[in-house]
Amino acid sequence: MEACMLKVVAACGSGMGSSMMIKLKLQKVLKELGIAADVKNTNAGEAKSTASQYHVIVCSESLRDTFKSAEERGTAVVTLKNLLDEKELKEKLLQAGVAELEKKVTV
Amino acid sequence: MEVVMSIWAFFQNNVLTKPAFFVGFIVFIGYLLLKKPVYDALAGFIKATVGYMILNVASGGLVGNFRPILAGLNQRFSLNAAVIDPYFGQAAAQAAVESIGRSFTMMMQVLLISFLWNLLLVFCRKLSKVRTVFITGHIMVQQSSTALWMVLLCFPGLNDPGVVVMLGLLLGTYWAVSSNMTVGATQELTDGGGFAVGHQQMFGIWAVDKLAGRISSKGSKKLEDLKLPGFLSIFNENIVATAILMSLFFGAIMVILGSGTMHKMDSSFSATQNFGFYIVEKSFNFAVYLQILQLGVRLFVSELTESFQGISAKLLPGSMPAVDCAATYGFGHPNAVTIGFLFGAFGQFLAIIGLIVFRSPVFVITGFVPVFFDNATFAVFANRKGGIKAAVIVTFCSGIIQVLGGAFAAYYFKLAQFGGWHGNFDWDTVWPVFGVLMNNFKYTGVGICIVFLLVIPQLEYYFGRYRRGDYFKVVENYAAVKKTE
Repeated sequence: MEACMLKVVAACGSGMGSSMMIKLKLQKVLKELGIAADVKNTNAGEAKSTASQYHVIVCSESLRDTFKSAEERGTAVVTLKNLLDEKELKEKLLQAGVAELEKKVTV
Repeated sequence: MEVVMSIWAFFQNNVLTKPAFFVGFIVFIGYLLLKKPVYDALAGFIKATVGYMILNVASGGLVGNFRPILAGLNQRFSLNAAVIDPYFGQAAAQAAVESIGRSFTMMMQVLLISFLWNLLLVFCRKLSKVRTVFITGHIMVQQSSTALWMVLLCFPGLNDPGVVVMLGLLLGTYWAVSSNMTVGATQELTDGGGFAVGHQQMFGIWAVDKLAGRISSKGSKKLEDLKLPGFLSIFNENIVATAILMSLFFGAIMVILGSGTMHKMDSSFSATQNFGFYIVEKSFNFAVYLQILQLGVRLFVSELTESFQGISAKLLPGSMPAVDCAATYGFGHPNAVTIGFLFGAFGQFLAIIGLIVFRSPVFVITGFVPVFFDNATFAVFANRKGGIKAAVIVTFCSGIIQVLGGAFAAYYFKLAQFGGWHGNFDWDTVWPVFGVLMNNFKYTGVGICIVFLLVIPQLEYYFGRYRRGDYFKVVENYAAVKKTE
């Protein structure tokens, strides 16, 4: 079960405050989209070095450059302007193709 | 009756005075109240309790790692040193509270009362004019820790319930009022993003918002046009930044103290180990313990934040969540974050040199969190109102204030002996003033602080930028009151 689940990580500078807020919003929005996923939050450094373990990384736009290399290696990176805006999150998750990703992972 | 008393005594000895179990217990009850299954509640209990125990290990390690260096500084130069960083501050406060034989569980009790008081103030918003609920869990833990020590220091005779209630009211008022002060500026920055800042520098944000526009010169450049060297991006990574900062500062201190002193002070420094490698290992140890500490906090705070957010959304619809300052970074250019950190650091280094030149009894060591997060936030807000010039000047001054205020506070509140002070902007400015008032005027002092805080939202309501009719609309419907510039 665990192995074939969409893995999403929310990242921020220290991995404490804003990544926690992103995680709460992620859980809510993914549930609305009917996508089952394992959602974690951590600091940007750790998320960068363990990027290959996740299908999707979600972070603030200010951290876009940090995850350039992860994106090149195939992890979907979603960057948010407003971390608390559920609409923005939902649109960008769909744009990044989470629905398709989930299907691929769970098969 | 005797049975009841002995059950109470059992509960008090094993849960109430043991912070780890107390935290777990609260999470357990919270889960049951939210009607989650018992196994979820149990998992929450374990994560919270283990998280707190991890935090304990790390706090002890942080203070222990520092001890030989502090002892060396003390002996050679009769100097104390404090890292100005909220995690160091929290560890130092815990060590200080336990050193006088009081229970650190009070920290969690203070946190709960403060949160409830904040909710009540928002509930009575017609009267109190408070619009924001502070829900940033890890910050609440850090501030409760530091403030708890301040109160115990100023009121050594006060019993535990007295301390908890009094501080709960003071800290809860600070959370409510200070985050409320950021509503206008944050809504403007985020164009109605729907959140306020609930962190460590809300008075600072308020001041920056007022000052930045005046500093800007005509046609001043915005940060967006700036090209910054690429190597600065390594400071985006917490571990790297901490390790570099710690190596710089502790390296310099240990070199000055010399390998002889360090051998004498630190038994873990073996005769065969090279001094250079010893210094690097010792410095990196700080990054290690900080990482462990944050892991522990993350474990038990995620449980707290989740329920706080749930409670405030359920009980107080229309209130505004006050969250981590990093939530604003997406609304500023990445350059703003870097520039803030850079000039904040310049300011801090200059002030530290000043401390040495003027022979301050407390030496200050730059901690990562205040220099980065406070100043990055200030730069984001300042850049919007006043461009590069404002961002640079504001963060440079803030760096200086952080060091001078931090040095004073670490000395005055006797935390330099434990090697740390909270160090974020409000805790280098507003809170030391609160502490001095408390220390000199006791209960009257606490009263003055609370009244001072409660008057602020009233002033904002009647005289602020979004006053009277617009005051609550800024939160509910920003587009309707948006000011065109």
